[in-house]
Amino acid sequence: MVAGSEVPNLLEPDARSTLVVSQDVDIAVPVERHAAVKESLGAIVGLVRSKEEPSVWLPGEADLIEVNFIGWDAHSARVGETYVLEDAELPLLVFGHLSLLRPGRTLLIEDLLIPLPRPAGLMLEKLLTDRSGEKGDRDLLVALALLLVSEESDFAEIELLYKGLAPDHRYAVLSGLSTLSLLEPRMHMPDPTRHRPLVADLLARLERTEANR
Amino acid sequence: MNEKLHARVRHMREQSLIRAWEYRQRSSSKGVWHRFRRVLADAAEAWIIGEADAEMLEARGCLPHPVGREFDPPKRLFFLAAGDLETIIQRTQVPVRLQGELLLARSLVLIPHARREIRAEEQSTTR
Repeated sequence: MVAGSEVPNLLEPDARSTLVVSQDVDIAVPVERHAAVKESLGAIVGLVRSKEEPSVWLPGEADLIEVNFIGWDAHSARVGETYVLEDAELPLLVFGHLSLLRPGRTLLIEDLLIPLPRPAGLMLEKLLTDRSGEKGDRDLLVALALLLVSEESDFAEIELLYKGLAPDHRYAVLSGLSTLSLLEPRMHMPDPTRHRPLVADLLARLERTEANR
Repeated sequence: MNEKLHARVRHMREQSLIRAWEYRQRSSSKGVWHRFRRVLADAAEAWIIGEADAEMLEARGCLPHPVGREFDPPKRLFFLAAGDLETIIQRTQVPVRLQGELLLARSLVLIPHARREIRAEEQSTTR
């Protein structure tokens, strides 16, 4: 499943990809499907495995971008934990917050099936990612891009998932949203200054769930 | 063993511990920037105003938002309707962003987003 900044692009009507200029593509590998994915690596064309970091595949052609394989654990006893799935050929960093992802639409583009997550879980995952500086800001702007492709049912799901988070994670989500509303525009990313009312509305909506606790 | 990935995991676990500590400190000075950002998130516009205008607003019954008192020196943050700006003599609009001019201002008038109701907490700051 595609799990990174390309998701909002692909969720746009006709996957027109106008929201975010991605630097790479994250592919979330379910840990229980690790062996099957490993078997398929030989079919990859145009990318070569990084010698330094085997979970990263680097483009061999100018019109391709880097692919990162990351671990997605939604079912095992280690759900929510960040850990390394060791493997000589395809080691994976399993991100604990990716357990928020739920399978969503599958796109068919030029005979290629592309499974995507529902926006809600990925948006919360982006808000919870502990990165600072340029990368942290990009994560927040990807969260904004996901908001822009969300429908009311997605907002309801955001609220539901938010309610299930630990208190410090809920606080981090609110903190991330308030920071997002104050970011400067960046090239090739959605302009946060145009969508500040949307972010404020989501903040208020999530805060109401706190009041009802 | 992939040492690079393990180093990233260690770093992320450290970040998680820091986040948990920040959460525990949220009611103290550590949380004031979060609360300030939260207030700014509700503002469509921000105007730096003069001290005399801030005094005038208080005299008219506008109470500044409580988060401003958590700073030293304190800030005075007033939520006003856009039409009320006309009464402010000395005012300079600044972008509602994380930038020095806004963060250093001593007195600010904030105009809420259109079509949004002012939250109960904000209403309570008006006599």
